[in-house]
Amino acid sequence: MAGKDAMYLGDDITAALATDSSPPSTKLSPADWAKKNLFSSGVNSLLTIVVGLAALALLWFGLNWVISADFEIIRANLRIFMIGQFPKEELWRPWTSAYVLILGAGLTTGALARNSHELDLSQEIESHKEGWGSMLRRFWPVLLVSIFFVSFARTLLPFIGLAGAFALIVVAREIGWRMPAAIRERAIFIGVALFIVSMLVIAGTSRLGGYALGLVAFLWMMSELSRVDSLPKGFAGTLIRSGIALVVAAMVAIIQNLIPHDGFGWENWGGLHISLFTAVVGISLGMPFGILLALGRKSDLPVLKTASVIFIEFVRGVPLISLLLFSNLMLPLFLPIDFERPADLTLAIIVITGFSAAYIAEIVRGGLQAVPKGQTEAAQASGMSAASVQRLIVLPQALRAVIPAMVGQFIALFKDTSLLSIIGILEFLRVSDTSNSQQAFVGKGLASVTYLFVAIGYWAFAYTMSKESRRLEAKLGVGHR
Amino acid sequence: MSETKAINSDATQVGGTGRVMIDVVNMDKFFGDFQALKNINMKVGEQEVVVVIGPSGSGKSTLIRCINRLERHDRGSIVVDGVELSDDIKAIQNIRRETGMVFQSFNLFPHLSVLDNITLAPRNVRNIPKAEAEATAMELLERVKIPDQARKFPGQMSGGQQQRVAIARSLAMKPKVILFDEPTSALDPEMIKEVLDTMKDLATEGMTMICVTHEMGFAREVADRVVFMADGEIVEVGTPEHFFTNPEEERTQLFLSQIL
Repeated sequence: MAGKDAMYLGDDITAALATDSSPPSTKLSPADWAKKNLFSSGVNSLLTIVVGLAALALLWFGLNWVISADFEIIRANLRIFMIGQFPKEELWRPWTSAYVLILGAGLTTGALARNSHELDLSQEIESHKEGWGSMLRRFWPVLLVSIFFVSFARTLLPFIGLAGAFALIVVAREIGWRMPAAIRERAIFIGVALFIVSMLVIAGTSRLGGYALGLVAFLWMMSELSRVDSLPKGFAGTLIRSGIALVVAAMVAIIQNLIPHDGFGWENWGGLHISLFTAVVGISLGMPFGILLALGRKSDLPVLKTASVIFIEFVRGVPLISLLLFSNLMLPLFLPIDFERPADLTLAIIVITGFSAAYIAEIVRGGLQAVPKGQTEAAQASGMSAASVQRLIVLPQALRAVIPAMVGQFIALFKDTSLLSIIGILEFLRVSDTSNSQQAFVGKGLASVTYLFVAIGYWAFAYTMSKESRRLEAKLGVGHR
Repeated sequence: MSETKAINSDATQVGGTGRVMIDVVNMDKFFGDFQALKNINMKVGEQEVVVVIGPSGSGKSTLIRCINRLERHDRGSIVVDGVELSDDIKAIQNIRRETGMVFQSFNLFPHLSVLDNITLAPRNVRNIPKAEAEATAMELLERVKIPDQARKFPGQMSGGQQQRVAIARSLAMKPKVILFDEPTSALDPEMIKEVLDTMKDLATEGMTMICVTHEMGFAREVADRVVFMADGEIVEVGTPEHFFTNPEEERTQLFLSQIL
């Protein structure tokens, strides 16, 4: 590397010019690295120094502030930050619910990871079981933040609880990985069923829970019956399958309803729990509706098309706050008098579902347009029905193409749940305000402490999602699938 | 050329077994104001191989895309194996079921493995059980000579291999006719032969085929009849020998002189 000219050539060209056939070493000594990347020109050197000084100053003041700040307000309100006004004597519910959820997540992700591993192996793609080191790199923000949260606890119980949760996820994932193939294929249903069970644990059994379980039972049954080759095919077969599945689903719902309703409901939910819950429910309910809206918007039937367009454009044209206020203040006025007013959270979840459905519809529409016309033509040419073409060819490709945008929408929705405070729901951010108006802390100027705490909480989850989305993107983009 | 000799532009003399498989009568096709096909009359016999040639924009692709209703014809009639194409979706699907199509850009489904690409339509449309469909698919992959690629995804294969999978995919529906829409135009030169060889095998086995192609060697060797199209019309019809030794129409001569 003599003189300035050689630098313009770049490493690859210099390598090509060299007669040595072994690739050039790309390792630089720290001094060389700094020279090449930080001080390569006058402007770069200036930038390095200015930004470096600013970062040092920020770190200095930040550390000073953290050392002198009073975190008593967090310690006193930790439980409220996490689960809101949930009664203390019912605390076993959130803990059990969380454990069921973790069990489900561990089993399902373990099983799905194994399935994908086996698929890769069958195509002679190199694949290894993911180690715990790699898992740690993927989920460190959430892990670190949960330890950070628990560090404010005043009793030992949360420490034990968190340690137990870590242990459970490790064990559940290993079990999921080792389950027989027949069970692993059904992992999604196990995961969804355990999710609903965890909800029933925390909210108590209820009619809504019964419907939800019934729906899962129905979908599960349909999927099982579609594997049975002895049933007739075509329309008659669909009728028979739906019939059997419906009976099973109804039985599940009825049995669930026979369990005494020691319903606890979600009136007293709050804190980080409610923020995560509404985001997850909003996106998972919004997704199917969004896909239907996107298909509706592309439909040839004018009624369906117009209805979809009106819904999408109305919801997208209005701030979420106004929709929340409308649902909370105005909607009950339109309901029949003897109609029991739904809980605030129920209304909020309906609004958030509709809101995310409208945005997801537009994202999915972009994905649908990105699928080449030749794909539809090839499927049509083989005699497939229009519905099959959409379901088996167009949608899978469209959804794959929009994963990044979809995760972006999910992150936005997660942060938007902070607007629930407007309609009086005690979500994560609002706890910050209420704790600052407590007698012990009012007027002490501790808002910055609580806001920082909340911000770290939001950041950990949003950043992990963003990381996961990039990982998923890379995984789906490796030349195939 | 003192005496004006009548040029044969009659594409309704069927070859093959003599049984009419495809019957196109007085068919017109418009794209907006532009008339893409003008009064097309053409018959294709069972087990016959018809090669359609012509300059780009002459309507060759549009013609075969009308036969399985990827394009809707505006006037005239198209009958495939006794079923007339109309707006009736049942009739369209019946015809599509019996008609395979191979595209210039392969159009394999990138999210499905080779095996799934081939078994999808038989399972979905013909309700054939998975095991049976996969056994058939493996036989077809043997036939196009890439059985070792069954578990791969389209993106992992060469263009020639992809096009052979596409041929196997269309064969999986056990079609009575296969339409080839410039199957080798998107391939690298060294891969054209493997696809053409596969098509030749099919022709030898007695498959009814319409091929839109620029591969004159293929036309010469395999075609029972060659149809030359220009400006949306059938200009000249004849045997390969006729075309490559003494084409009569001026446009045919011009086209062949450019391409050969």
